[in-house]
Amino acid sequence: MSHDPLHSKFSRRAVLKVALAAGAAQLSPRFLSRARAAEPVRIGFDDTLTGTYAALGKNTLVGCQLAVEQMNARGGILGRPVELVVEDSTSGDAGTAVQKASKLIERDRASFILGNVNSALSLAMAQVTSEKGVLHIVPGGHTDAVTGTSCHWNVFRVCNTTQMEANAVAGPLMKSAGKKWYYITPDYAFGHTLQAGLEKAAQRLGGVTVGADLAPLGTTDFSSYLIKAQSASPDVIIFLPQGADMINAMKQAVQFGLDKRFHLAGAQQELEALEGLPPEARVGTWVFEWYWKQPNVPHLQEFVAAVKQKTGKVPTARTWQGYAATWSCALAANGAKSLEAPKLAKALENMKLPPEIGLMPDRPFYRAGDHELMPTLYVGNAQAKGSDDEDLFHVTELVKGPDAAGSVEETGCKITWPTT
Amino acid sequence: MTQLVLFNVFNGLVVGAFYALMALGLSLILNLSGVINFAHGGFLAIAAYLAYTLIPTVGFWGGLLAAPVLTAVIGLVVERLLIRRLYGRDPLYSLLLTFGLAYVFEDATRSLWGAQSLPYPVPAWLTTPLSNRLFFLTGYRVFMVVLVGAAVTALFLVLNRTRLGMRIRAGTHDLETVSVLGINVRVLRNLNFGLGVYLAGLAGVLAAGMLGLEPTLGSSLIMPSFVAIIVGGLGSLPGTLLGGLLIGVASGVTTVFLPSATEAVMYVMMGVVLLVRPHGLLGEVGRLH
Repeated sequence: MSHDPLHSKFSRRAVLKVALAAGAAQLSPRFLSRARAAEPVRIGFDDTLTGTYAALGKNTLVGCQLAVEQMNARGGILGRPVELVVEDSTSGDAGTAVQKASKLIERDRASFILGNVNSALSLAMAQVTSEKGVLHIVPGGHTDAVTGTSCHWNVFRVCNTTQMEANAVAGPLMKSAGKKWYYITPDYAFGHTLQAGLEKAAQRLGGVTVGADLAPLGTTDFSSYLIKAQSASPDVIIFLPQGADMINAMKQAVQFGLDKRFHLAGAQQELEALEGLPPEARVGTWVFEWYWKQPNVPHLQEFVAAVKQKTGKVPTARTWQGYAATWSCALAANGAKSLEAPKLAKALENMKLPPEIGLMPDRPFYRAGDHELMPTLYVGNAQAKGSDDEDLFHVTELVKGPDAAGSVEETGCKITWPTT
Repeated sequence: MTQLVLFNVFNGLVVGAFYALMALGLSLILNLSGVINFAHGGFLAIAAYLAYTLIPTVGFWGGLLAAPVLTAVIGLVVERLLIRRLYGRDPLYSLLLTFGLAYVFEDATRSLWGAQSLPYPVPAWLTTPLSNRLFFLTGYRVFMVVLVGAAVTALFLVLNRTRLGMRIRAGTHDLETVSVLGINVRVLRNLNFGLGVYLAGLAGVLAAGMLGLEPTLGSSLIMPSFVAIIVGGLGSLPGTLLGGLLIGVASGVTTVFLPSATEAVMYVMMGVVLLVRPHGLLGEVGRLH
């Protein structure tokens, strides 16, 4: 049977549908205005979900998601539901990170921006968020400038600065291992500032740099660096690469037997990296930013259990950073009773995180002068396996944030507030 | 100082042997099919992850044997379904396809095995250094060099002594004539692609033992092999081998003097070779059009 196009085009059903749609459109403004009242408060997540830092970005995201679930169960932000809008910044493309941040602010009308694991992307995003006047919390980009020379009124940071980590580890390391240090440093901003920070801290204590090599980011074979490092006969070989580079460097050092001849150490170490190492290569003295297994920290076990239920694994420092950063958004809004960025920022200044969010021996707080969170730093040694399969770090010393951070003047941060 | 340089030359040869193994597979595919296989690193990573998955049931050696073969089978399927369609077109098409495939493979490994790095178990007796003085020569690295040597010898034997190998070599020189002589060029290209991917797989499993597993494993290792091919000369397998060893030594020695340039030195070498001898050290003039 042939089909009559003319009749099908104007069938009764089609006409009815159009009429119904038109009617609905007439009614919709009223629905819309009601919907606007309950419009969710949006938190824009712009972090590394693919590429080199994907594992770190994904763990950060888990913490953010858990925080949002908890907020919504407790009535949301200012009585409105909370929605996490997730974007992948890529691991190294500042253009993408900036574009996603703009999209989150303009199209999704996010009241808060979270990100980024990569220091350079954090700085680039901060340019956008400060220009557009949106509260921005950096969960895990470490380079000093974020809350130092490039600080902004709207930018707060949860993770440590590289200088804080250097200051925390230098003393204990010099005491236990000796003062002649050889550095293997990743050749980008993070590595440079971390090495400079360690040298500064070591010098104060009488330490000596016997050699330092810059390794390009993404170096897979560290053997030639290790050959050079051992020939300088240091007391300590300091490893500053991160992620896969750290794993490659440490693994090769231990295969070469260097852990038996020198003390291996560094500043920042992460559970993600230790999990990627074979047990025999989990050695050395390091700083952890947060650890899931600590005595006498209230609410810690609940948090660990909640994350384990979500992912099957214990939280890492990155999970906690995402969690604390996201909760900080709600704390700021509830403190300011507003979603206006300057009021939010003022509310966060000197705010102490409540114990169930801080999850540290000392309650961390955002320092007013530079917007840097003052947490506890955990100095200790990597271990093949503790009391638990995932207990890969043995904390030997707790350092208080303000002691490690130095003064606000030293950071070089001068906050200028917008004039309204 | 002399000792430091000597050690680094020696060590560079070890590293270079590994680059060469990766580059040989790439070179095979490029020579016969004119495809610049950007997905080579992806195949490499898949083999590494497959071996990791197989090890609990078949052990380290079983994984080393089985994973490259399984990866080669994946390679055969990919060639049959996707790459074959683009032969005879502008090489840009196959380049774009394999470039996209590299991303697909990377994200596939990430969603199947997780973004987190995983340690790759290696028998303990392989991971200790042979002597305190030559500490950078671990059992594993010596084993790797021996295996690369064996694989290269086997490859040259296959290419020179077997019917398949002769057809591949003939096809590399003049595919049209080979086709006119009644040889099924489609099958030949398919098998050749599989062989190339097998070599990538072998390199992947070896790399996993040295570096551990990471979804970005392939992309971080792929560039040196391209450089090795260009330095050695397009179309020449011995050239590729030489190129791999040379860049290994060059970046090793550079560490002694200017460590931050270890990566850059490879590209400088490539630039110099392209300027002075555009067809590469052992390549033939006008080999690839």
